[in-house]
Amino acid sequence: MVKVKKMMIVAIAMIMVFSLVACSGNNNASTNVKTDSGTKNGDSKNDAKTNTPEETGLIDTSEFVTISYLVLGNKPTNGQLETVMEKVNVILKEKVNAELKFTWIEWADWQTKYNLALASGEPIDLITIGTDWLDTWNNAQRGAFMAIDDLLPEYAPITWNEVPAEDWEESKFNGKIVLIPENNYTQWVNHGIYYRGDWATELGIIQPITDMETMGEYFQAIKEKKPSVVPIDLDSSKSGVLYGGMVSKTDNIDMNIATGLIGIFMGKSYDEKYTVDSPVFNPLFVDYAKMMKEWADKGYWREDVLNYKGDPRVALKAGLSGADSHHTQTYRTLRVEMDKEQPGSELQMYSFSDTRNNLVSMSITHGGTSVGAHSKNPERALMVYELIRQDAEVYKMINYGIEGVQYEIVDGKSRRPAGYDEAKHGFYTDFWGGRMDKFEIPSSTVWDNIQSVYDKYDRIKKPFPYGRFVFDKTNIDAEMTAISQVVGEMAPAILFGKAGDPEKAVENFRKKLKAVGYDKVMAEIQTQLDAYKKMIEG
Amino acid sequence: MEHSSASIRSDLPSKIVSSFGYLFIGLFALCCFMPFVLIIATSFTSEQSILNNGFNLWPKEFSTFAYKIVFENPQLIIGSYVVTMAITIVGTAIGLFLIAMTGYALQRPDFQYRNSISFFIYFTTLFSGGIVPFYLLITQYLGLKDSYLAVLLPGLMSPFLIILMKTFIRSIPHAITESAKIDGAGDFIIFIRLILPMTTPALATIGLFTALAYWNEWYNALLFLSPDMKYRPLQLFLYNVITSAEFIRNSTASSNVPLRDMPLESMKMATAVVATGPVILFYPFVQRYFIKGITVGAVKG
Repeated sequence: MVKVKKMMIVAIAMIMVFSLVACSGNNNASTNVKTDSGTKNGDSKNDAKTNTPEETGLIDTSEFVTISYLVLGNKPTNGQLETVMEKVNVILKEKVNAELKFTWIEWADWQTKYNLALASGEPIDLITIGTDWLDTWNNAQRGAFMAIDDLLPEYAPITWNEVPAEDWEESKFNGKIVLIPENNYTQWVNHGIYYRGDWATELGIIQPITDMETMGEYFQAIKEKKPSVVPIDLDSSKSGVLYGGMVSKTDNIDMNIATGLIGIFMGKSYDEKYTVDSPVFNPLFVDYAKMMKEWADKGYWREDVLNYKGDPRVALKAGLSGADSHHTQTYRTLRVEMDKEQPGSELQMYSFSDTRNNLVSMSITHGGTSVGAHSKNPERALMVYELIRQDAEVYKMINYGIEGVQYEIVDGKSRRPAGYDEAKHGFYTDFWGGRMDKFEIPSSTVWDNIQSVYDKYDRIKKPFPYGRFVFDKTNIDAEMTAISQVVGEMAPAILFGKAGDPEKAVENFRKKLKAVGYDKVMAEIQTQLDAYKKMIEG
Repeated sequence: MEHSSASIRSDLPSKIVSSFGYLFIGLFALCCFMPFVLIIATSFTSEQSILNNGFNLWPKEFSTFAYKIVFENPQLIIGSYVVTMAITIVGTAIGLFLIAMTGYALQRPDFQYRNSISFFIYFTTLFSGGIVPFYLLITQYLGLKDSYLAVLLPGLMSPFLIILMKTFIRSIPHAITESAKIDGAGDFIIFIRLILPMTTPALATIGLFTALAYWNEWYNALLFLSPDMKYRPLQLFLYNVITSAEFIRNSTASSNVPLRDMPLESMKMATAVVATGPVILFYPFVQRYFIKGITVGAVKG
């Protein structure tokens, strides 16, 4: 009896297992066929590749393939993407016998999804990367990307020659090139304060304003002469702006170690980039806190700034605020809007880098493209990438859509055509993996004169020194979290000048930071920086 | 008898007690009800008014802009509703059946290996492989990427609900099963004809849990259903509406994203209304099953 039962249980268990296997088997079978043929193609192509190019000098593209490109963003749902891609694919088919298909990682929980897609071994051909926001080096460590040193010269020759050797150096992991950097695209995300040039002139302020003290004079003059205007309208989330003012007094450079609202840990200076430092523990911070208290008492920003949730930019556009803040990318377009809303306002930007000419470029690997380790057609993937990046026609379609539908060019500048409806005609591909300045169409929404600002930056900029620095938090995760919390609790009040006696407040802030492990984190970062220095300088 | 009970009812102290009870329950109900009113009111308020005046129980500046954005593609949202409803109904039906069968089998005293099998089930509540193996299992081994089964299967059964079911069925006297056996009924007949009808309260509870889980499910859908699928579950659809609005507003990574004003706060509330509405309508119909105790008097003599 017992035996029979045992056998039955075994039998049932086996049936269950088999039925499971059978269910999955069906699906697997179909995918297997696909991957098999895929690998076969890949293999035969590989063979072909190794034989033909050397013999004939031509690349074999007889097999039509689909190249997938992983991008971040929500897939547009209005059908424009399909329309544009159809046109793009006609060109791609003609030139390299391939089609391009974007695969989207939606913003909902994108970090998890992105890392899972890379870890799962799915055959993705091209992948958007970003060393500072997409955990690229760790993914490289896990083997998500293909080394493309050998493929680049042959399959993406223009890009290969155009990217300078030192930029390729920045793109290497363990000595192998694993990504193509977005190194020819100007993006300045250095922060600063925008002020109204017309008012500054009217109030007799020496322009351009290049330090916080002069900025204070501008605010004071507005306070006295323009009673209906808030000198600088700020909402509760903007305490970081005033921290930028603090950093402007130092030579510290940001190394993208996040500690909540404000960055506590920075590089000491460009010359001492392998030394960790903190603006908060700089002796100047006490004086700065005193100045902020003074500014708050004089009413340079609203009394309820700590809880205020309104939009300061609206106030600026309405002429009710004397200043606003964000980075240069925003200034490009805000200037145009302000010229429309407040004609003659001559909106200027004081960049925090102006004070001490301390400006570091954005990492060239903030955007870029890698070839997936499991790509079946890495050669063709690179050929497609080369066309996106180097073929003006393809580039413009991918980035702007179709002329006449998404944009029209008037006087050399792009603008929306009449009858353009955002819901119906809106188009984007979120291609952030190799945009090129030379193909960008000047837009009517960007200030004509922005080049003068770029020129100013170009004179003083230094390359981002931490492009390949991988900050490993494992040992100090708890401390980092605690520090972020302390920052969130105490920093806004100090920076907004609402923390009572500034000297005491700063002292308390520092004490609290030390209590939750500031020193341990400093030591850890220093250790890692030392190791990084060894890696860079050999 | 009647007279005395009537006098007790009209007793002053008990009147106070009951009116106190009503008051308390009334207040409690109000506390539950107010947030809903707030959500609905906010969803109809213009964004600027929310920023200036905060949340109010009555819209100060009436606006349906948030709903306009949520329902921008009516076809998509209807499709999402259909997908979610189908998954919820099919999943709950199959899930209930499987859970009830498992629970029944696991409590039968004459099932020799019930303890070891129970252990296998409960073990998974304490230890799990984590998200990466789960992802690999679904996409690589089962090949369910872009298949609604990837959302349906993981939600079918949960150890907790099996325990709940098992415990409930245990309260049905074993004598009933035995008596049916004497009458010549097979195990499956016993389960369908006797056990299932007697477990209605448990089935209602567990059904509601399962249905709610399916209704609110978005994470598996997010992981396994790619944007290439036209219709995806409602919660994911709404979540995407919010995140894309949020991203467009805070966009720093790209200057190419087309900007427009997003009524973020009122949109959040509008999506909440869209997502919870049907559940609120559905709830009263299931509720009556919770109250019943059916086994009373089944075994007599």
